Amino acid sequence: MGVAILWHGKRHWTLSMVAICLVLGALLGVQVHSQRLRGDTEVGRQTGALVSMLTTSQAQLDQHQKEIERLRARVAEYELEVANERGMARLRNEELQHRQIALGLLPVGGPGIQLVLGDSTMRAGDATEAQDLYVIHDFDLVQITNELWAAGAEAVALNGQRLIPGSAITCSTRLIRVNDVTISVPFTFLVIGNKENLMSALNIRDGMLDRLRVLQFKVELTPMDEIVIPPVAVPPQYQYAQPVTEE
Amino acid sequence: MNVVLPLIALVVGFLAVYRYAPAMPPGWADFVAIAILAGFDALVGGVRAWLEQRFDEGVFVSGFFANMLVAAFLAYFGDKLGVDLYLAVVVALGIRVFNNIGRIRGLIMTRRIADRHAKAAQPSP
Repeated sequence: MGVAILWHGKRHWTLSMVAICLVLGALLGVQVHSQRLRGDTEVGRQTGALVSMLTTSQAQLDQHQKEIERLRARVAEYELEVANERGMARLRNEELQHRQIALGLLPVGGPGIQLVLGDSTMRAGDATEAQDLYVIHDFDLVQITNELWAAGAEAVALNGQRLIPGSAITCSTRLIRVNDVTISVPFTFLVIGNKENLMSALNIRDGMLDRLRVLQFKVELTPMDEIVIPPVAVPPQYQYAQPVTEE
Repeated sequence: MNVVLPLIALVVGFLAVYRYAPAMPPGWADFVAIAILAGFDALVGGVRAWLEQRFDEGVFVSGFFANMLVAAFLAYFGDKLGVDLYLAVVVALGIRVFNNIGRIRGLIMTRRIADRHAKAAQPSP
């Protein structure tokens, strides 16, 4: 009864109140949504770091074990073939090919992933420095390359340029260069390696791709059964480094 | 019914946006928070004015949007100047919201008490 006295019910009162509440509710929704996204990445950062540490050490352990087995087998092979000149030549050839793959001198094929990156669909005003937030930079590509190697990539090409030890991804006057060749969006990584490992390493929470997705960058990550990666266009030249033989 | 409708609107607005909201550009969160506070202040002020029977639709709606814009602008301006102006906004609005809520509570309580007295004064049949 007491409350009923308060209603001197005018229709427009309700109407404007409803409209205002709708707007206020919507604003609250945006805010809470954004804060939750932020909080999620905060928590994800810690678990993500632990998970990646665990996977890394596990992978390293596996790798070392495989390496030991490989070396043992190789030693046994050498011992067997030591007298056989033809066998030695074959082994040396295999060894050479292995090195050539590592240096990116041979085209290689195999399973892996394709990662396509494009600039963000978000646009900040006209200010150039604000725009920088929404385009892919050389350091983004460097970081992704780093993550790929860390995840066990065996061969990587960026926009057709084979990445080898000594490949540099640089930026000068808003142009990105890799192996001294200018490339531009979309940036396509072709990676040969264990598909699952690569996918999960890239998709890790609060990883590089997560951050790009939050800023609405175009990120397309697809597992591939067969990828062919071209050799490096200009093989590295060694002017100063000389082999040292230990006597 | 009149109280329920705005509450429903609040929830509907919240849910609709919360479920389908695009990610806000980073750095907007502070300004939106200030705008929400200002909007809430206007809302509470509106309820108080209505209880005091001096509610005016034009004043209410214009006050709501003007408050939000001014508060967000002050916060933005302070950000650009490197002065934490948003703190001033938060304090000022916070005090207003508390004052208004206290006043609303007071108004409702006095009316309740008045009601009870009126009832007690009626001769029982």
